Amino acid sequence: MEKIQYWNPFLETLPREKIRKLQLRKFQKIFRWAYEHSVFHRSLYDRAGVLPKDIRSFEDIRRVPKVEKAMMRDIQSRDPFPYGDALCVPLDQVSVFRQTSGTTGKPVYQPDTWQDWEWWAESWAFILWAQGYRPRDRVFIPFGYNIFVAFWAGHYAAEKIGCEVVPGGVLDTQARILKIQELQATAMMATPTYVLGMADTARQKMDIDPSQLSINKITCAGEPGASIPSTKKRMETAWDAKVYDHSGATEIGAWSYECQAQPGGMHVNEAFFLVEIEDLDTGEIIEEPGRRGKMIITALDRQAQPCVRFDSKDVIEWDDAPCACGRTFRLIKGGVVGRSDDITKVKGVLLAPAAIEEVVRSIDGLGDEYEVIVDKLGDRDRIKLKVELMPDAQERSKTIKTHLKDQLRLKTNLAYLTEFYDYGRLPRYEVKAKRFKDLRKKH
Amino acid sequence: MNNQTEIEDICEKIGQMKKIALELNQNEPPYPFLKRNTERILASIKMLELNVSDIAGSVN
Repeated sequence: MEKIQYWNPFLETLPREKIRKLQLRKFQKIFRWAYEHSVFHRSLYDRAGVLPKDIRSFEDIRRVPKVEKAMMRDIQSRDPFPYGDALCVPLDQVSVFRQTSGTTGKPVYQPDTWQDWEWWAESWAFILWAQGYRPRDRVFIPFGYNIFVAFWAGHYAAEKIGCEVVPGGVLDTQARILKIQELQATAMMATPTYVLGMADTARQKMDIDPSQLSINKITCAGEPGASIPSTKKRMETAWDAKVYDHSGATEIGAWSYECQAQPGGMHVNEAFFLVEIEDLDTGEIIEEPGRRGKMIITALDRQAQPCVRFDSKDVIEWDDAPCACGRTFRLIKGGVVGRSDDITKVKGVLLAPAAIEEVVRSIDGLGDEYEVIVDKLGDRDRIKLKVELMPDAQERSKTIKTHLKDQLRLKTNLAYLTEFYDYGRLPRYEVKAKRFKDLRKKH
Repeated sequence: MNNQTEIEDICEKIGQMKKIALELNQNEPPYPFLKRNTERILASIKMLELNVSDIAGSVN
């Protein structure tokens, strides 16, 4: 009976040395696949002088050139249309198109074969099973099923593990809440922004308390919120549900997940992915816990458009503490703590925007929404934080403002101009929010 | 049954399924119903391999 807590007890409790052995063997395989089937990869590796026969150890893997998103954008102007020459299979084997959201520039197209798509769903099956999804669950997915991968694989994985899935497609937020109520859905998947937004809509516009609905677990993706303690707490309180994080990306796959033990981090699915952490300044590979760096990741089984040593820009750090769930897959502490291209210097101090969210959402009386704007006043950086005051907190506004400024200084080492707005005045987002604006490049 | 024996037993059965699915997939003439459905079956079998067959060597 004990094995039922794992989707696959053989892989998820494999001893560390065997996981590493498996990863090396699988890396050799996917590297050879990319070299032999993709014009782009062969040319990249030939130029670097690294051939499949050269990969015999993890040290050798570090010699393999990294792939950046900008390179993928260039590739896609080449044949075969529309994917370019990183494509490893004939076009008639591509069964589905997706594209990245374009948050950081021109979107990248992602082809997948049916096997790749099975692999996406399989990766998500690990996630959902670890988070307590079982065949008895009725899973509501409030997602605009479209060209973005988002929760598509979550949908297929929930079906695969035996859940009943309710696709919340083109319904608006109020209709989705009513459908959750009507069907007594037990679980849902959404971005943290939308989880909070739905709760807000239910309370403010429908006089429905979301904590009284039947949702008992929520899986988040797309933003780091479910790993930011104050944001997680707000979501869990609003819905009276467990909120779990997971991390994935269109060009990578679903590579990590929080388990029911909620150890303050996420497990990397090391049977399907090889994660390396690279020091932001020196490029050195970080093996030990407690040092942040950017993630270089390989999807070990993805075939149509391989993901081999992809520079994801996600900032993470290892955590070597054993997890109470018994999984031997390594943990990353606090989930994805930022993106290397979001971490910026303001007034000479390194700032990760997630730290501001942690402060804002830890303060009772402030709304969920906020906006950060960095610009220049003359030669000096200036950082402005806009927040909303909840209607029942007006009388405490002075205390809240002082507490906010103190906490911001304590957690980010910076002084902010703060602006308070009435509740409902700041922009609302449905999917990925853009709350951090750095205007200095325009000066 | 210990892990190693259990894995070997599962792997053997996965191998048998794959052999039959491949035979049907390569049937002549290639009837669309047979070709496309066995393509899907083979993709599912591949997931079984990723879950078990790939670690047979590591565990042994």
